[in-house]
Amino acid sequence: MAPERRFRGVLSTSPFRFAIVYSLVFAIAAAALLLVVNFAVSRVVDSSTDNLIESEMQGLREQFLVLSRSDFIALVEQRSQNQDVRGAVYLMVDPQLKPVAGNLPAWPKIAAEEGKWIQFKIEVPYGEETREHQMRARRFPLAGGFRMLVGHDVQERQDVKSLMMRSLIAAVVLTLLLGLGGGYWMGRRILTQARAISAVATQIMSGDLSQRLPVREGEGELNTLAREINGMLDKIEQLTLGMRTVLDSAAHDLRTPLNRLQAAADGAMSQLLPGSVERRVLERVTVEVDRMRTTLNALLRIALAETGTVAREAVDLSELVASVVELYAPLGEERGIVLDSEVNTGVQVQGNRQLLAQALANLIDNAIKYTPDRGHIRVLLHNLVAGPEVVVEDDGPGIPIDKRELVLGRRVRLDEARKFPGSGLGLSLVAAVTKLHGARLVLDDANPGLRVSLRF
Amino acid sequence: MHILVVEDDEVARDYLAKALREVGHTVDVAGDGLDGLHKASTATVDLVIVDRMLPKLDGLAMVQSLRATGRKMPVLILSALGEVDDRIMGLRAGGDDYLTKPYHMSELLARIDALARRGAAAGEEGGTKLKLADLELDRMTRKVLRNGKKIELTAREFQLLEFLMRHSGQVVTRTMLLEGVWDYHFDPQTNVIDVHISRLRQAIDKDFEKPLLHTVRGAGYSLREDE
Repeated sequence: MAPERRFRGVLSTSPFRFAIVYSLVFAIAAAALLLVVNFAVSRVVDSSTDNLIESEMQGLREQFLVLSRSDFIALVEQRSQNQDVRGAVYLMVDPQLKPVAGNLPAWPKIAAEEGKWIQFKIEVPYGEETREHQMRARRFPLAGGFRMLVGHDVQERQDVKSLMMRSLIAAVVLTLLLGLGGGYWMGRRILTQARAISAVATQIMSGDLSQRLPVREGEGELNTLAREINGMLDKIEQLTLGMRTVLDSAAHDLRTPLNRLQAAADGAMSQLLPGSVERRVLERVTVEVDRMRTTLNALLRIALAETGTVAREAVDLSELVASVVELYAPLGEERGIVLDSEVNTGVQVQGNRQLLAQALANLIDNAIKYTPDRGHIRVLLHNLVAGPEVVVEDDGPGIPIDKRELVLGRRVRLDEARKFPGSGLGLSLVAAVTKLHGARLVLDDANPGLRVSLRF
Repeated sequence: MHILVVEDDEVARDYLAKALREVGHTVDVAGDGLDGLHKASTATVDLVIVDRMLPKLDGLAMVQSLRATGRKMPVLILSALGEVDDRIMGLRAGGDDYLTKPYHMSELLARIDALARRGAAAGEEGGTKLKLADLELDRMTRKVLRNGKKIELTAREFQLLEFLMRHSGQVVTRTMLLEGVWDYHFDPQTNVIDVHISRLRQAIDKDFEKPLLHTVRGAGYSLREDE
């Protein structure tokens, strides 16, 4: 699988997700904090204004009782002019609601009960222009049909409140934007490095042990991790190369004398008449050399597959399965065995074509060997959701459950199998090749017979 | 043919040289890569057989140097290593064929013949029609005629026949067929190739008086006119 497909994008990286979660948390926290402050401040300010208005009202009521009307009007006028208490409004009206004194132009036409709190707007001059201001006030009756209104300009408070609301929204939006931006940036950084690491890991898994993970300048967890993994890879490469060297020299040291033996026998045979006793002995020798070579080749291939140092490439599994089936089908037909196959097209795996072909050839060869004449063998290649699966199924004697683990080990041949030719390494090679390709080898009952499946 | 054998195992080298001389080749020998490179570059060598592991200069390095100096003669690499990718490395280094030890002399001789023929016939590779006696194979139309009569073959039988016809008159071993027609490089535990050959023989020889596809005992098969 290409590394690009394994990482879907910045938006699914963990830094980006963390950033989203954290910026949401911070935004909610900021909003909550501002709301609490806003609420507390307005509570304090509102109640102090209301208290002020209440005490003013109380005072004026008492003054009205003791003062003459004209003195009271003068007092109202004086208070209206007084700039010490900014924003205070007063209005005294006669029974026809005509203003008598105060700094409000008109009695607000609000159908609220007297004595209740009211809110209304009035036009306040600002040089040439006017602006609407919010007022908060209470009205109460005076003797003789006169009425009085005491209130306060709360526009400033409204302004502060809406400013706070706006900053609250701005703060939340900003936190979210910063969080998303920062998360995206971090996500991209991590993703770039993770993709680079994954690309290298893919190469390493396909057998190129000389590759190392990219390490950036400086510290950081990913860098430290990459360095440590690189150290581990050094060690693995060293061990694997060591194993490969041992394997190569073992191969060399075993093949060289066999080669001499074969050459000597071939050389001597060419001097002898066909059918002579000596020649027949030498023919026996070359048959044994062949047998040793076959066993040696199988053992070396198993060992090689187990070192994992085999070159891998994209292999068309569909083509491979079809061609191995086609190679073995006539062999089965000789004994009346039908070799059926069902192959999904276009199935690809990363692997070694030769080793995969040999593994499959061994399975089919085994199936033909152990299936009675006029038997039936099925070879399937299915592209399942979990990955491709190759199945070789025969209707031979099968392998008893308790011996299935056993036959996958080295050189195990069940007693019943000794009458058949073979090195007993066939399934071991299949097991080693399966492991090399990160696949799973499963032996099952085909009722009757053996069902072997390779699950990639 | 003038053949250079570069092999450090003296015993194997002597057997090989002797066997090659017996079938009529002129043989030169070298015991290490440097000597081998020197002899291959100066003498009029037609074909080189080189061991993979050599003292002084490794077999692969020797082949690479040889190719770098523009020498194009066929090279067969012998190896005592663990094959699979060694084979690919050998061919990539400039080898034309690769044989793992121990090998049968008949296998080696068959491969040498094939290599020599390939070198000589490099020009006519592109020809679309192959012909042997009254057997004709057209690679373009994928038709096979014997004595003017059309012969039905499966795709694989066609490939098999094409390979045999391209090597007509030579001995072709089972391994060469498995490599050349199926592109597989392993020992099939059973002689699967024999069954394919007998089917092909059924198709092309059964109804005709003179058989063309012959079995060469202890070696392989040969598609030829005589006998």
